[in-house]
Order: sequence, then structure tokens, then C-alpha cells
Amino acid sequence: MTARTTAANSGLASCHVCFKLAPTAVHRCPRCGATMHLRKNDSLQRTLALLVTACLLYIPANLYPIMYTEQLGSTEASTIMGGVILLIELGSLPIAMVIFVFSVIVPSGKLMTMFYLVWTVERHSPLGARQRSMMYRITEFIGKWSMVDVFVVSILVALVHLGGLLVIRPGIAALSFAGVVIVTMIAAESFDSRLIWDNIEEKNSEN
Amino acid sequence: MKTEHADISQGRKFSGIWLIPLLALVLGVYMVAQKWMNEGPEIEIAFMTADGLEQGETKVKYRNVDMGVVEEVRLNDAFDGVIARVKLDRQALPLLREDTRFWVVTARVGVDSISGLDTLLSGAYIQLAPGTGEIGTRYFTGLEHPPQTPAGAPGLRLQLTSDRASSVSAGDTVLYKGYNVGRVENMLFNPSDRLVHYEIFIDAPYHKLVNSSVRFWDVSGVSLSADAGGFKVETGSVDTVFFGGVAFGVPEGVEEGDEVEQQTEFRLYTSYDDILENPFQYGTYYVVSFDQSVKGLRPGAPVEFRGIQIGKVERIMLKEGLEKTRTLGEQGKGLSIPVLLYVEPGRLELPDKESSIDALRETVRVGVNNGLRATMASGNLLTGATYISFDFFPDAREDTESTFMEYTTIPTIDSGLAQLDQKVNALLDNINALPLADTVTSANTALASLNQNLASLQSILDNQSTQQLPAQLDQTLQELKDVVSNLSPNSQAYQSLNSSLLSLNRTMGNLETLTRTLSGQPNAVLLPSTPVPDPIPEVRKK
Repeated sequence: MTARTTAANSGLASCHVCFKLAPTAVHRCPRCGATMHLRKNDSLQRTLALLVTACLLYIPANLYPIMYTEQLGSTEASTIMGGVILLIELGSLPIAMVIFVFSVIVPSGKLMTMFYLVWTVERHSPLGARQRSMMYRITEFIGKWSMVDVFVVSILVALVHLGGLLVIRPGIAALSFAGVVIVTMIAAESFDSRLIWDNIEEKNSEN
Repeated sequence: MKTEHADISQGRKFSGIWLIPLLALVLGVYMVAQKWMNEGPEIEIAFMTADGLEQGETKVKYRNVDMGVVEEVRLNDAFDGVIARVKLDRQALPLLREDTRFWVVTARVGVDSISGLDTLLSGAYIQLAPGTGEIGTRYFTGLEHPPQTPAGAPGLRLQLTSDRASSVSAGDTVLYKGYNVGRVENMLFNPSDRLVHYEIFIDAPYHKLVNSSVRFWDVSGVSLSADAGGFKVETGSVDTVFFGGVAFGVPEGVEEGDEVEQQTEFRLYTSYDDILENPFQYGTYYVVSFDQSVKGLRPGAPVEFRGIQIGKVERIMLKEGLEKTRTLGEQGKGLSIPVLLYVEPGRLELPDKESSIDALRETVRVGVNNGLRATMASGNLLTGATYISFDFFPDAREDTESTFMEYTTIPTIDSGLAQLDQKVNALLDNINALPLADTVTSANTALASLNQNLASLQSILDNQSTQQLPAQLDQTLQELKDVVSNLSPNSQAYQSLNSSLLSLNRTMGNLETLTRTLSGQPNAVLLPSTPVPDPIPEVRKK
């Protein structure tokens, strides 16, 4: 296989902001003035660090109650999984599934996917680059939907405030869960998907 | 072109981005550490039922501040109760004392109050009432009923015992001179001592009214008594009529006592009259054994010292006496009957205190050496009731105190009754010894001679002359009648006698006129009388 012509091969780097191609020797984008890098700066380290943060935040998000329902003086605390189980017991299976998918499967799946991507890039693995690229795109797209849970809680807290009759207060898990979602989104953002392909390019150039 | 590749390589240096997970970690560790630092104690409270208790829901409160939450409710190992595992805040640590009490607060409707209505909406909670004992207890037994007194209220908690459950029950008032100063918190019948135990609480500052000489009595309901003075109705306050109550006070003639401690035990008298009958709290037991009949001696019979009542007969210990006779094998002597006496030093004008018992015992000990003896005396000849009397018998056989079972015994001498018995016996013996046969013989002789006399009298009566005697008597009487009839008004003799008397009467009248003339003018016999001019009435001068 002959090496395909890439911007990097040609000594060109893309601006992160305006995507102008400029020679790597240039430190500032000739168009917008942003700092030029061939690849995102410290991409893997940043992604990994943010993933670890997200993992740490994910622990209280699941263990602590996400919201408190004060009904006629008696307070009831509900965690994410507690709420899902309660909904299943009440027979609202579709809603339970929605919450389960977006609050449990998506964030955890996203974390695992990102860890996998970082790991493979670190190992310079050339295998399944196309699938990995696809995983990355899905992850980036679906990640923001995890905020559904946080939005539900915020809306309930804002709307249901009936004095002593029924009051809903957010729990500490709502904050940490929002943290998990935001941090994983930033992690996905700081991951440079071109690194997946760089491995293949390297292999090719070595051949 | 080496320069082209130099920019591609990822630096191995640590990026500043690692500060973010580090920060998250530090925050997490801090939170965990803080939670661990504030980790409160975990306690277990045993209840009869889990009524109102919900896992993770039911709070523990003290002065309406949340102190913790019930984490788990489970059955105990014997399945006869439940155990609530409670996670408490750290600040509750000093409240967990030996006698800290817990109870479930739910809405309750009592005869005199409704409480805990707020729990209808919020659900039941466990109330904590800190005690005063040692800190560090972790296992508690919850109360089934809330105590009547708010937790930590100042005052005095006392124990009352009564041998019968009157109408006093938990929640009733405690009165002092008719004023409400406390309440009955709890009542319990203890089958082992067969006494009803009441726990009462006197609010501050009225607890100062309680001293060691006060008496408690039942003022529940209405007491009706009838005597020579008429009917008498006694009641406490209105609520004691319906719900019962306890009153206390120092009985008349009793000195104020010392201050009392918490949980001091008092006796609950059934009425104030009961106190007047049994005004003393302290007493001691003695045993006296009699070798004679104890007929008429009943439990409650008075024990007197020279006529002053000093106690009463508790019971006749026949069973124990039999036991003793059997074990000792005292043959031929006969069974002596021990009698248990209850003697109160207060009745001997000694202060009604624990120490007076020792003083009394010492006095008795010395007294016995100097001839103090117990006797049985007759109290009421009609009913045959007897009582125990103590007195000094200087000529009594020397004796000292001994013991019977755990009691001290006082020697006895045969009572006056028994002595009387003996005298009557002696008298009957004497009567028995009289020469009755001789007497009867001489009496018979006398009767025979009497019989002879009677026979001769009969012969006199049978005589002819004796029988004619009535006829002669009759004739004499007839003659006497004739004589009398001659003297009747119609007879001649009577009329002549009458005329003679009339002429005598006239003569006497003339004689009287002469006598008067002579007394006024003694010379009238010799000289002619001068007539006295008639008096002339005069006009009264003005």
C-alpha cells in the first residue's frame, strides 16, 4: 500500500476553530489567529482525566437520592435506580425503560466506549478503525440526551412547589449526574477522532 | 524532515487537566470523610409491634429536632416483638443514656386529652427522652405508652405501692390540698409481690412539698359514709370523681420529714381514714408463743402495752409452729402457738423513722430482761375477742429474747384468762369435794319428822269438835248482827239518843252566851250591864 496523501503528510495542519489549512510551521492561524496544532493538544490525557472525573461523579449520582418528594410532611427520597424500580412496580414500563436507557445505559455505555477508544488509540491499534470512528460519532451524538433525567428533575422542582402539600427538592445526585453528563461531553469533545486514523497512517508509512 | 514529526508526538508530560479528576476525588474523599466523621451511633430499640414504624421513613425526634431515622425494622429472635435499628446523628450521642426512653408518637385520644394530631399527616415518629444515667447504652426497650410527663421536665418521680388496684390509673392527677401538682405516669401489677406499683411525677416546684413523712392516699370517686352524725360525702376535685386521683399530705400530728430522693417508694393508702388508722410507716415484727388457747385472737387484734396500743397481730403462725415442733421433736410439752406481731415505734411517741425501730428493739431487749412479758387478755367478753398485752411482771421467771425463724421472740406468761380458768377449775374441784351425801341424809331425817308433824295436824283436823267449830262461829256472828241492827237510825235507842244530843246542844249554846258576857264584863254576875252607845259614822275630813 502506498501512503495516501493527508494534510499532515503534506506538512499542513487544520485550524481547530475555522478549519483553515495552514503549514505546520505556522503557530497562529493566518485567518482567525487561533493557535495551530496538528492534533488536539494532549487529547488522550485530557479525555482520560475527564473520564476519570466522570466516573468519580457517577458514584454519588447513583448512590444518593436524585430528588426528595415532600408529601404532606413525609419526605420520600428516590435514587435513579429506585425510581426505575418504582416505575416498573407501578406498571409504567415504557417510562421506566426511557429513564433506564438514558440515565443508566447511555452514561455508562458512553464512559466505557470512551475508555475503549482512548485505550485503543494509546495502544496504536489499527483494528476496526471505521467501527471505532462510528462509535465515537454515536457517543458524541447521544451523550447530550443523558441530560433528560436532569431536565426532568429541574422541571419538577420548578413546577411542583405546592407549599406543604407537595414539594419536590433536588438531591445531590441530580448535581453529580449533571456533572457526569457535562464532563463526558467535554471528554468526547476533547478526544481527537483523527488519532484513530493516525495509527493506520503510521502503519502504512512504516510499510 | 525531522521537524515535521516533532509536532505530531504527544508529550508524555502530565497535563494540567488531571487537576479536575483530582479535585473530584478530593471532594469525594472529603464528603465521605465528613459523613464518616458525622457518623452517628446506631442503636436498637425493642418494641412490641412495628405499629407506625417504617424503614427509612420514621424519624427519631428530641424536642422536635430530627435526631435520626429508622433504618430497619425486623422481628426479634423470639418472634415476640420487633427491633428497630435506628441511625442517629452524632449530636445525639450524649442523649443515649442508660435510662433514656423511647416511644412511638401517634395520634392518641384519651379520656382527658387528644395528642399527636400532627402525626396524622406526617406519620408516626419515635420520641426520645434523655435520661440521667450513664452514657453509652445502645440497646433500648421502647415504651408502649408515652410517659405522662414531658421529657426532661423538672420534678420528682416517686413510686407508690398499693395492695389493691383502686380506680387510680395512669394519667390521673396528683393533688396537694386539692391543687393539681402532678400526675400518675404508670401503673403496673407485679405478680411476684402481688402489689400494684404506681409511678407518679410531682412537677417542680411542688416536689419540695414531698418529704419522708408525707402520706399518699386515693381520692378517686366519691366516698360515702354514714355514722351517728349523719351521712358524709367526700370527693376530690371534679376530675378525680370521674378519672381518679392521688392526694398527699403530712397527717396531723406528724412532724415534717426529710427531703426524699427520686424514685422513693411510698405506700398508697386507700383513703385518708385509712391513714388515720395506720398513721405510721415504720414497724417491726415480733413473735410471741403461747402454750394456751389462742381462741378469740384474730389477725388485726390490738397489741397493747399497759393499755396503749403499740401494734397489731399480723397472723397466727400455726404452720411454722407445727414445723418447729416436728423438727425439734418436743414431746409431751404440747404445741406452743407462735403469733406474729407488728409493732410500730411511732405509736410509742417515737419519731416515725427507720432509726426508731432499732431504738424500740433495744428498749424491748432491756425490758425483757427486766420482766417484760406478753400475755393474752380478754378484750370483749361478749364476742370473746382477745388481744396481746405487754406488761412488766417483776416476779416472772427469768427469761431473755430468742429467735423464731427470722423473728425475735418475746417470752410470754399465762394470761389472766388462763389464770381465771384455773381458778374456776379449783372452785369446781372444791365444790366436788363437799360432803354432799351427809347433808342429804340429815335433810332426809328432817323431812321425815316434818312428815310426822303433818300427820298429827291431820288428826287434829279430823276431830269432831274441830268440825263443829264453823257452826258455832256462824251462830256467834248472827247474834252480833242482831246487836248491830238495834243501833240502826230507825231503832228506838238511836232516836232517844239523838234527842238527848240535841238538848245537850241547846244547853251548850246558852252556856256559850254566858261565857262571852263574863269574859267582856267579869262583874256582870254582880252588876247590871251598861249598854254601849251605837257608834256614829264620821265624815272624812278633806
